[in-house]
Amino acid sequence: MATIMTVDDTATMRQMVSFTLHSVGHEVVQASDGQEALALAKGRKLDMVIADVNMPNMDGITLVKSLRALPEYKFIPILLLTTESHDAKRQEGKGAGATGWIVKPFNPEQLLSVVKKVLG
Amino acid sequence: MNTAPSIRRPHVHSPRMPWWLPGVLGLLGAWIWVAIYAPFWTTFGSGVLFGMCMITLLALSRKNLVMPATLMDEQDSQQAEIVQREIEALMPHATSAEVLPQVDEMVQSMASEHQKRRLEELLLHWVSVSQQYSDAALSMRKEIHNVTEQTEHAATTIANSFQAIINKATVQARQAMELLEGTQGAMTEGVPQSLKDFIRVSDERLTKMADEVVRVADLSVRMVRELDAVQQRAQAIDGFLLDVDKLADQTSLLALNADIEAARVGEQGRGFSVVAQEVRRLSKRSHEFSNSIRQHLEGVRAGLNKTYGDMRSLSAADVNHATGIKNEVLQLTQSLEGKNREVADTVSSINAISKEIAQDVQNVVISLQFHDITSQKLNGMLGPMDELRHMLFQLMQETLTFDKSLLKRLPGDDRWLARLHDVAQPTAVAATAYLDSRPQADSAPHAPPKNGTGPAVELF
Repeated sequence: MATIMTVDDTATMRQMVSFTLHSVGHEVVQASDGQEALALAKGRKLDMVIADVNMPNMDGITLVKSLRALPEYKFIPILLLTTESHDAKRQEGKGAGATGWIVKPFNPEQLLSVVKKVLG
Repeated sequence: MNTAPSIRRPHVHSPRMPWWLPGVLGLLGAWIWVAIYAPFWTTFGSGVLFGMCMITLLALSRKNLVMPATLMDEQDSQQAEIVQREIEALMPHATSAEVLPQVDEMVQSMASEHQKRRLEELLLHWVSVSQQYSDAALSMRKEIHNVTEQTEHAATTIANSFQAIINKATVQARQAMELLEGTQGAMTEGVPQSLKDFIRVSDERLTKMADEVVRVADLSVRMVRELDAVQQRAQAIDGFLLDVDKLADQTSLLALNADIEAARVGEQGRGFSVVAQEVRRLSKRSHEFSNSIRQHLEGVRAGLNKTYGDMRSLSAADVNHATGIKNEVLQLTQSLEGKNREVADTVSSINAISKEIAQDVQNVVISLQFHDITSQKLNGMLGPMDELRHMLFQLMQETLTFDKSLLKRLPGDDRWLARLHDVAQPTAVAATAYLDSRPQADSAPHAPPKNGTGPAVELF
């Protein structure tokens, strides 16, 4: 099973994502904003990152850019899980290097399906 | 002539009579009365007196000896405005006054003074409204923040509770499945691992035991038949013993006859008599032996008869009992199988319900994501509101620096300035701190999309 980091400033969302991923045996690391996520990512090996877009201190798109700048996270899947559904924002995420875009509210089965597909 | 700018009045007040109008009207009335009732020279003299009074009044006005506007209280500001309007209304008709530049100067001075007062009032009103809006916006921001925090706390608690329910429902479903497998599972090394196997094995073994009992009962019946044959043979032996007794009696009778004949012969028959006695003794022993055999045979027969009766009753009882037990076992196993099916159906139902509960609760947990969505939308509303507060504060600061001397002429202006400074400054700090610390994407991202939106899930 994989080690996945969920990044969201809302504790409820972090718990929901963690619970969903835990239910199939994944190990989950939680971070409340981009800065914390970046610090945690530098200290460990992650198989995937699932991040919100709108967060204080460092938003999700900046986090994607910062992670992609690290050699060890150049090819790690990064999914953006957000309330944003605007095409321009979506293209901004894609341009930053995100692997995929999931619009909230998410369906746990759908999330697990995407995670399974992305992890290969 | 009318060069004073028009002043927009926010409120409508009742007009007040100018302070000099009663005097002028009084003098004019007195002159008219004199002109009607007095002789010509008296009328001429009073007219000259009226003209001189008017000239004196205008001269006094030119030297600012009339009541200045600065001495009026705030409530008299409307009076000044009315005076201005009335003078303006009188100007086109007072052709004699047009040649007097003092009138125009007086009017302009009054209008300017009143304009300043109005401007000060508007500034005060503007700052007050700005301050009220700023306070209300800050209060609203705090309330929205509190609501968001409380909603998050409640949503987290509810999510945790529902996730605990999901866990328990999942465990319940798994245990139900294990129970179902336990009632329907297979044997391990001949030992039944489920109720179904137990019923099956019990049925097999009890049936086998009942079959054994039936077989023993059959053997008993055969043994009874064998005993019948043995008893018939014992009766035959009894008949043979009667024959032996007859032979012994005849032998004894022959021995008696021989003994009689030997006694009649005398001495020569003595040896024959000994033989006859010996034959008689043998015959007696034959009787005794036959009786002994008969006694033993009677004992055997009695034993056989008793065994025969027991075997008959035993065989009949065994067959009935074994058949009864077999039927009872059959009914019991059938009942157990029925109960087992009911248990299996109930457990399957519990398992299905547990899965449905887990799914329903999962749906509720998904719905709880509304908190994240609504809080982000609320934060999106806060951005423009804070920017407006920030702009208002800057305008207030510019207003303060625009004409401090003007503001200082307001009654209690120092206290007002101090209050404005004390209140506005923390508000601006809070607004600036928020604007600096808020997420960059907070200002715009939560607005409804203007263009089309993509799919809920997209992999790039």
